[in-house]
Order: sequence, then structure tokens, then C-alpha cells
Amino acid sequence: MLRHLRLIPILLQMNLRAQMEYRGAFLIDRLAMIIAYASAFAVIWLLVARFDTLAGWNWGELALLYSFHTLAYAVGASFSFTQMRDLEEHVRLGTFDAMLTRPMSPWVYLVFARYNIGYISHISLALALMTWALLTIPIDWSIGWVAYFLASLLSAALVTASLMTMLGATALAWTRSNHLYSLYFGFWELSRYPLNLYPTIIQGILLTIVPLGFMAAVPVAVLVGKPVPLLGDIAPIAALLAGPALASLAVLFWRFATSRYQGAGG
Amino acid sequence: MKTLVTTEYSEVEAVRDVSFDISAGEAVGYLGPNGAGKSTMIKMMTGILVPSAGELSILGRTPHQHRMANARDIGVVFGQRSQLWWDLPVRDSFDLHRRIYDIPAARYEGNLAQFSELLDLTPFLDRAVRQLSLGQRMRAEIVMALLHDPKILFLDEPTIGLDVVAKDAVRKFLARINRERGVTIILTTHDLQDIESICPRLIMVDQARLIFDGALKDLRASMGTRRRLTLEFASDPGPLDLQTARLSSDEGLLKHYQIEREDVSLVDVLAEIGRDRALKDIVLEEPNIEEVIRTFYQGRNTAAVTA
Repeated sequence: MLRHLRLIPILLQMNLRAQMEYRGAFLIDRLAMIIAYASAFAVIWLLVARFDTLAGWNWGELALLYSFHTLAYAVGASFSFTQMRDLEEHVRLGTFDAMLTRPMSPWVYLVFARYNIGYISHISLALALMTWALLTIPIDWSIGWVAYFLASLLSAALVTASLMTMLGATALAWTRSNHLYSLYFGFWELSRYPLNLYPTIIQGILLTIVPLGFMAAVPVAVLVGKPVPLLGDIAPIAALLAGPALASLAVLFWRFATSRYQGAGG
Repeated sequence: MKTLVTTEYSEVEAVRDVSFDISAGEAVGYLGPNGAGKSTMIKMMTGILVPSAGELSILGRTPHQHRMANARDIGVVFGQRSQLWWDLPVRDSFDLHRRIYDIPAARYEGNLAQFSELLDLTPFLDRAVRQLSLGQRMRAEIVMALLHDPKILFLDEPTIGLDVVAKDAVRKFLARINRERGVTIILTTHDLQDIESICPRLIMVDQARLIFDGALKDLRASMGTRRRLTLEFASDPGPLDLQTARLSSDEGLLKHYQIEREDVSLVDVLAEIGRDRALKDIVLEEPNIEEVIRTFYQGRNTAAVTA
């Protein structure tokens, strides 16, 4: 365990150096990401400018929701998305086999050797928007509020990383996983908006089977004092517990999937 | 309609009834055609795959149950997948390896120096892996797998795609490591030359089953293959039937025979022909191992078809 912790900074540093071998491509990719996210955001802004509010949320609140969503996603995904999406390929090419022949956790190796620093573009965009939103909407600043804000953000990042990890781990047991990501991103798109925008069935799905509601809609509703459909009073605690609960599930699922690993090829 | 929603999995048995013991310090070649279950066996021995049945013990441990402990004592080289960091200098991958395996600095430096010299790595240790030739990269992979002094070195097709010079360097190095350091070597290959130069012992598998386990030189006898004899005459002696060899084709001056019995020597054949037949030249061909194996696989395939 301790040895793994010592290896993490070395893996991160090697990974950074390897990625910096392609500085130009890296920078262009970051710029493209910023443009993509900023334009998605501009669409929401256009809608709100036209109708004033969306499901009872004003522009500042929506900006907080969107930036919270983007930040939590970026932090969680940097530890999971590209790594887990590539896991299918690692299984197919047998590079996952090689990870299993080393005296270390293949998860630690995969996650940190392939840590995606590219999310820096999401994070900077989200932080800028978040600062603006927090200055715009009236907030009862208190230590409790700030603590809840940070804890729910962490929980939301864990929700992302756990779901991504579970999707990716299916490749270990069944060799394919990438089709599941399209499904994931469908619901991910929905989770950028307030829950009360949707019919009850969608709300239910977003709080249970595909619990992406906990990525932003639930915690931000709690933070800005809006009612949360279906959950009501348990919403604040549910948002804090969602991350750790899903992370535990992801650990169990990862172990199960590795135990079922059959490899690919002869 | 049902098959659209339900998937039927068919279980493929990659290894069955394969049983062998390998002692410390041996060098064993594991040979078989594509799909014979070679890689599966290596994956089970290295703890990657869990065998569905049977017993497997490597250095006294069940590999998949003690994957980490097993990993410390073995080195693994895959011919077709690199374990080096593509974009970084070779030395960086080695350094990470040192930290993953907790290799004491002095031992690491000593091993690196010795192996680098033997395989001539020094000129490209500081070059990015993506700039190396396949031969250079393979040499680096093998050195890396040995840096932590593994007791067993597994190599899955280590010479695949290499040119003659690189193959030779790799073979000589592996034979030497086995001889001088006592590292047990288990390698799979399609190239019999690998086995001839590295492995005194050969294990052959086919269709998931073990078909031969022994010294390479005993393979021919066990497969019952024949030596080929060609006789060239100054003048055609006409059809010439012999007791010691069977005539397989007659071109007049050139006659081809097969010697089916192992105890028949060239002297016996010559004695039977006698001195008065204007015999000009004799060629006796020992079938090479490739041929022995090809004959075996072909025989098996026709047997399977007729059965």
C-alpha cells in the first residue's frame, strides 16, 4: 500500500513528460475542449436570456450548476475516463496482461500512468464560471456552507470516477465496454440541468440506476436552497453519501471483474 | 429471434491434460502451432489467468492466488507487446521497474551494467523507445525483465519479427543467462532455432494437449520420421529394390529412398548395394525439426478429416 503511494508521483511525472513530447497537439486539444464546453454553455445562456429562468433556476444558479457539473466531472474523469475507455484496448492488445505480471495493482498503474492532465481546460473554464456565479447569486456564506460545497464536490467527482471505472471494468470480464459509454454520456448530458425540468421517470433514473443526478443537480439545488424532487429532506445527506457509496461499489466491481479476466487471444 | 438477444458462449478449452514439471535452472521451449494453447499456459503460469481446473504451482505458489509474490520472482517478456514507455528514454522505464520491484541500488546498477554490455544497450539507453529498431527494443525488454533477478524468466515469442543478427544476439544472451546465472527459462516460440540454441528440453503441445516432452534430439525418433537417401549412379542400374531402404521415386540415374528404421546405418545400405553398380554419389538427409513437426501436424490433420 505504502509502496503504491510512493510510486504514484513517479508514474504521474513520467506520464507528464510523455504527454509533453507532443506539446503542440496537447495545446490544440485543450483549446478545442474549451471551445466545445464554452459553446455548450453559451446555448444554455441563450435559452435563459430568452426565457429568464429555466425550471425556476435563474442564470446565476444555472451557471453554478453547470460549472459544478463540469468541475466535478473533470476531476473525476481525470482519474478514470481515458484510462477506462482504453482498458478495452489494453485487454485486446494484451497490455493489461503485462500490467498483471508486475508486483503492483494494475488499477494504480493504469490510472496514474495514464492520468489525464488534459482536463486542465475543463477545470479552468469551470473555475472561472464558478467564481462568477458565486459572486452573482446571493449566498449565506458560512463555514458550514463552504464545507458542504467542497464535500459535495468531492462526492460528485467520486460519482463520476466510480461510474466510469465500473463501465471500464466490464471490459475485463466481457472484453467489450465502449458501447456503455455512449449510454453514459446520454444521461450525462441530462445531468447538466435541474432535475425538476424532467418527468418523474427520468428523475428516478438519474437518482437510482444511472445516479448522475448526484453529480450536480442534487448538491447544487441543496446549495442554492431549491427543493429536490423525490429526495426532499434527505437530499443533502444523499449528495454527500453518493460518492463514497458508489466508490465502494466500484472497488467491489473492479475486484469481481479482474477475477473474471480471461484475456484475449491465444 | 432468440439469438438476437441472448448470446451463446461456447467454451474453448485452450489447455487440457497437460502435465509437466520444470526444475530450477532448466531452459524449456514450449512449442506448438497457433491456437495450441501456448500463450494460455504462459498466462496461467504468470498469474494472469485463473485455470478452471487442475493444479499449478510455480516456486511453491499458486500464481493467481499469490499474484504479487509470484510477480516478484518472475520476469515476463512478451514478444508482441512492449512494456517500455514509448515516448520516454529506455532508462526511464528501467528506473520505474527498479522502483516497482524495490531493487537495491547497487544490485540494479550491477545488473544494468552487465546486461547492457552483453546485449550492447549502452548506445541507446538514453534514446526514446519509439526511435529504436525492433531488435533494440526487444533487447531492452529482455534486460528489463531481468533487472530484479527473477528466478524464472518467461518469454512469449521473444524472437518474433527479429532479423537474423538480433535473433542470434538474443539467443546467445538467453543461453548465457540460463547457464551462468541459473535463471530458469520458459519460452514459447514458432522458431525451432530458438529451442535448438537455448533449450535442452522441448515441450510440444497441439490442440490443447501435450504431445511431446523431452530432449530435442529425441523428437525425431519419437515422431517416427524417416531419413531420406538419394543415390546417384553413373549409369542407370534399372529398378533397384533394397532391404534397408524403401524406393520412393526413381529418376533413372537419381534414385530416392526413405530409411524407415532407426537402426539402419549408411554402411548397411552401402553393403547391400555392393561395389559393382557404378554408384557415383550419396546424400543422406536427416529431416530437420521443422519438417518433423510439419509431417506430424499434417498427419494429424488428415487423420482428423478421415476420422
